[in-house]
Amino acid sequence: MLVYASVILLTACATTSDTYIDPNMDFGAIKTVAVMPFASLTRDPVIAERVRDVFINKLLSTGAVYALPTGEVARGVSRAEIQNPTAPSGEEGIKLGGIIKVQAIITGVVREYGEVRSGTTSANIISLSLQMIETQTGKIVWTASSTKGGISLWDRLFGGGGQPMNKITEKAVNDLINKLFK
Amino acid sequence: MILSTNYLSKALVLILLGFLFFSTLANAKEIKTETPPSGDTRFRIAVFPVENLSGTVAPLKEIRQALIEMLSKRGFQVLGEENLEKFMVKHRIRYVGGLDSGTARAFKEEMGIEGVLITSLEFYSETDPPKVALTSRLISTGEAPSILWIDGIGLAGDDSPGILGVGLIEDPKALLEKAMKSVTDSLIRTLLTRRDEGKGRGAKRKFRPKVVYRSPELEPERKYVVAVLPFFNRSERKYAGEILVLHFIRQLRRFNNFDVIEPGILRQELLGLRVIMEDGVSLANADAIFSILDADVIVSGKVIDYQDYQGLWGKPKVDFSTVLIERKSREVVWGSNSYNEGDDGVFFFDRGRVNTAYAMTSQMVRWIGAWVAKER
Repeated sequence: MLVYASVILLTACATTSDTYIDPNMDFGAIKTVAVMPFASLTRDPVIAERVRDVFINKLLSTGAVYALPTGEVARGVSRAEIQNPTAPSGEEGIKLGGIIKVQAIITGVVREYGEVRSGTTSANIISLSLQMIETQTGKIVWTASSTKGGISLWDRLFGGGGQPMNKITEKAVNDLINKLFK
Repeated sequence: MILSTNYLSKALVLILLGFLFFSTLANAKEIKTETPPSGDTRFRIAVFPVENLSGTVAPLKEIRQALIEMLSKRGFQVLGEENLEKFMVKHRIRYVGGLDSGTARAFKEEMGIEGVLITSLEFYSETDPPKVALTSRLISTGEAPSILWIDGIGLAGDDSPGILGVGLIEDPKALLEKAMKSVTDSLIRTLLTRRDEGKGRGAKRKFRPKVVYRSPELEPERKYVVAVLPFFNRSERKYAGEILVLHFIRQLRRFNNFDVIEPGILRQELLGLRVIMEDGVSLANADAIFSILDADVIVSGKVIDYQDYQGLWGKPKVDFSTVLIERKSREVVWGSNSYNEGDDGVFFFDRGRVNTAYAMTSQMVRWIGAWVAKER
C-alpha cells in the first residue's frame, strides 16, 4: 500500500516539458542564425510569413543573436538547392550554413492560428513550435513549442472573443524566445 | 452714481479694446491662411496621367484635368496635352508612376520643363460616404532628378460629421475636389516658401510599431540616402506594395535625416540589374543597389494586410513589416511589425476613429521614420 502511494505521489511530482535543449551545445557560440520559412498547417499560408517576421524582429531585438535578412536566406536556400526549406535535413543545414555563414538555422511550424469555437464561445489561438539546427553538425540542438490564447473560463462565462490575434502571436513568440535563452 | 458711470465707461472701453484686439487677430489669421500664391510662380511643369493604384475604375482623366486647372490658376505653366502626348510617344513612356533619369533629362532639354507632377490614386469609392486617397509628388528634371515635394491625403465623407451631420460630404466630386485642393495648396506653399511640410502633427501613439528592433549602428545625426524598394504584397489589396512605398517616401522626407531616391530611378536601375527578389532583399542585391544608386540604406518589407472599406460599415486594417539594410555594416539595422485597425483605442462616439487605410498608414509610417531618426 505504501509502495503504491509513493509511486502515485512521485508521478504526480513529475513534470513534462515541451522544450529540448542539447546539454552539450554551447549556445553562446551562436552569433548569427537563419530563420527559415515557417511551415503552416493552417489554411492561410501568409500566416506563417507573418509569424516568421514577428519572430525575426523579436529575436533581433534581444540583441543576443543576429538573424539574416529573409532575402539572404532565400538566396542561400536557392544556392544550396534545398527542396523543402521549411524542413531541411541535417546535410542541407550544414550546406546552407556554409553558404550564408550562419552557426544555426531555425525552422518552425505554425500548427494553429485563428479562431477556435466551443459552443457559442469563440477566441483566438496560436500554436507554434520551433527547432534549431546547428550548422556544424546538422544536429537539432533546441526545440520548443508554445500555445497561447484559446477559450478561457472568462470567455466561457462572459464572452468577449479572447485577445486579438496579434497580441497572442507576440506572446507565443516571447514565450519561445524566453525558452531559447533560459 | 458717478462711480457706477465711471465703472460702466471703463467696462465699455475694455470691451471695445477687446473687440478691436480680437478682430485684428482674426484678420491676421485670415491673412496668414489665405495668402494667395503670387502669379509669378512661372514654374514649367508637366502633369503625368494619374497612376491608378486603387484597383478600381476611377475618374483619372477628370482628376488630372482638375489638377491642371488648379495649377494653371495658381500661375504654373503646364505643358499642353498634345505636346505631352507627343513627348511620351517619342520616348515610349508607359510607366507613369515615376520618372527615370533619361526621361528627366529629355524633359529639361527638349521641352524646358522644370518639374514633373506624378499623382497616384490610392483609393476611390463613390459609395456613400465617399472615400478618396491620393499622393502627388513633384520631381525635378535635368541631370539629377530628385523629389522636390511630395504630399497626399486620405479623406472619407464622414471624417468630420459634426453636429446633426452638417459636416458630412455625400458628393464624391466635392470630396475629390477637397483632396485635390489640399494637395495643390501644399505644393504651392512648399514652392513659394521653399520649405518642406515639416513633421506635421505628431502621429498618435496607438500607431507605433508593435515589435521593433533598432540597431546601434544607426546614427541619429547622420543623413542617409534612402532607396525604398517595393514592399512584397501578401495582402489581397492590389498594389499595396507600391502604396507602402509612397507612404515611406512621404514620411521619411519629413525628417532631415533622410534623402529619398526617386522610385522611378530605382525602378529603372532594378530593371537594368535584372534583380529578382524572391523573399526579400539578398545582400548581393543590396550591394548592387548601394553601389549603383550610392544609397546608404535600403527600405523594404512585406504587406500582410491592407484593407479599406466601402460604405458606412467596416474599418480599415493595415499590417506590414519593415526592414532597413545599411550599406556599411551590410546588416539589418531596423526591423519592425506594425498593425492597426481603424477603431483601435476608440471607445466613445467613434472619437478617434480613422476611416481610411491611407490616414492610418501615414501615421504608422511616420512613427517608423521618427524612431529610425531617433526622435522619440
